[in-house]
Amino acid sequence: MSAKKYLIVTGTVTYAIKGRDILRKQGIKANVERILSDGANTGCGYSVAVYSSPNKAVELLKLGGVKILEVREKLNNIS
Amino acid sequence: MIYLDNSATTGRKPAEVILAVQKALNELSANPGRSGHKKGMQATTAIYRVRERVADFFGAEGAEQVIFTSGCTAAVNFVLKGVLKRTDHIIVSSLEHNAVMRPLVKTGINYDIAEVSNSDEETLENFKRLIKPNTKMVFCTAASNVTGRILPIEKIGEIAKNHGILFGVDAAQGSGVIEIDMKKMNIDYLCVAGHKGLYAPMGIGVLIARRGIENTLLEGGTGSNSESFDSGNTIPEDFESGTVNLPGILGLGGGIDFVKRKGVKNIYNHEFSLAKRLYNGISKIPLAKLYTDGFEKGKFVPVVSFNLGKMNSAEVADLLNRYNIAARGGLHCAPLAHSSISTLKSGTVRLSPSVFNTAGEIDFTLKVIDKISRTRKD
Repeated sequence: MSAKKYLIVTGTVTYAIKGRDILRKQGIKANVERILSDGANTGCGYSVAVYSSPNKAVELLKLGGVKILEVREKLNNIS
Repeated sequence: MIYLDNSATTGRKPAEVILAVQKALNELSANPGRSGHKKGMQATTAIYRVRERVADFFGAEGAEQVIFTSGCTAAVNFVLKGVLKRTDHIIVSSLEHNAVMRPLVKTGINYDIAEVSNSDEETLENFKRLIKPNTKMVFCTAASNVTGRILPIEKIGEIAKNHGILFGVDAAQGSGVIEIDMKKMNIDYLCVAGHKGLYAPMGIGVLIARRGIENTLLEGGTGSNSESFDSGNTIPEDFESGTVNLPGILGLGGGIDFVKRKGVKNIYNHEFSLAKRLYNGISKIPLAKLYTDGFEKGKFVPVVSFNLGKMNSAEVADLLNRYNIAARGGLHCAPLAHSSISTLKSGTVRLSPSVFNTAGEIDFTLKVIDKISRTRKD
């Protein structure tokens, strides 16, 4: 599994689920993850987590009408 | 009981709805859109899947346009108070429910009432005539809860679009009984009751917004952007502040599944045949007065209003109740509609069958109405 993941912050869970479904239909591994304030001044919210090719994922989401606030790179903590 | 008050709420709910509500309570009782744990996400995803089914059922572009509300009345309030400004002008029909008229009057927005006649062409002209330079919206019911008259909403939508005017529809009586396609009918805002023709529990409604809504009416926790005191106006979450009605929403999903399984056309055909049976039977009863000029398929939803001579409509409904028949007498929260048929003083007795009613129940009801008519003197 990838050491990094990319959280595509959608803000609301509705857009996160919509985004996850779009990516999964395209064969891209994606999950919905809850996020907390990270200095980005958003407070709580939701994101679509992808594990590779974030730019491609963002492009697909934008085409699908998903609102994107930002993309964060994170370590993929696997226990 | 012979339940013929389905326009108020459907008296029997299908298995799909009951099982969906049970699942919500037994397996998914976690606050959706708040926590990231497994159960919370399962609840959240279940709600999203209902959004998808609602959007698909009503021809909206996507799940993200679907706002769950406490009912159709709340949905109407969101539209009228959230979209319109004080300086706007709006056109409504002569058959509107108080769910439309009361918030409208409260806002103080300038409005005009388009008369709905027996003729669609005349009705459309009545709407067109009232358009002004500052007309922001046409808002009308899909069908009357008093007379059953179906409005020509596709053509009204076309008029609105051609004039650059927003179009909102109160589909409380039409949902699940007549085909409503938002894209095809140019509907910008659709207000839906879950508990009538969609057979869902009371306490759930939908607003499908293909356009934005500037103002929220209710603010609170939404599960996102929580550092800010400003809730924003992102559809749907900013219009669903607080914990949503998960059992109601899943029940609504079950109701849509039921209606799709049966088929809207099949449901309408069955219910209309019962309503027509009522209409024809009542027309032969001494002292009975009906309030529509005919009762043709495609022109009316299954709602029949009548009176017996000078008898009080509430009294007739009470007498029917003694024979274990549920009907509703009075003004049906629609004084404007009653004004249009000159029954504002008397009200009417309203009968409205559902997909679960039978011809046998209708025939028995007609016998009882006939008996009441013959045994009571004017």
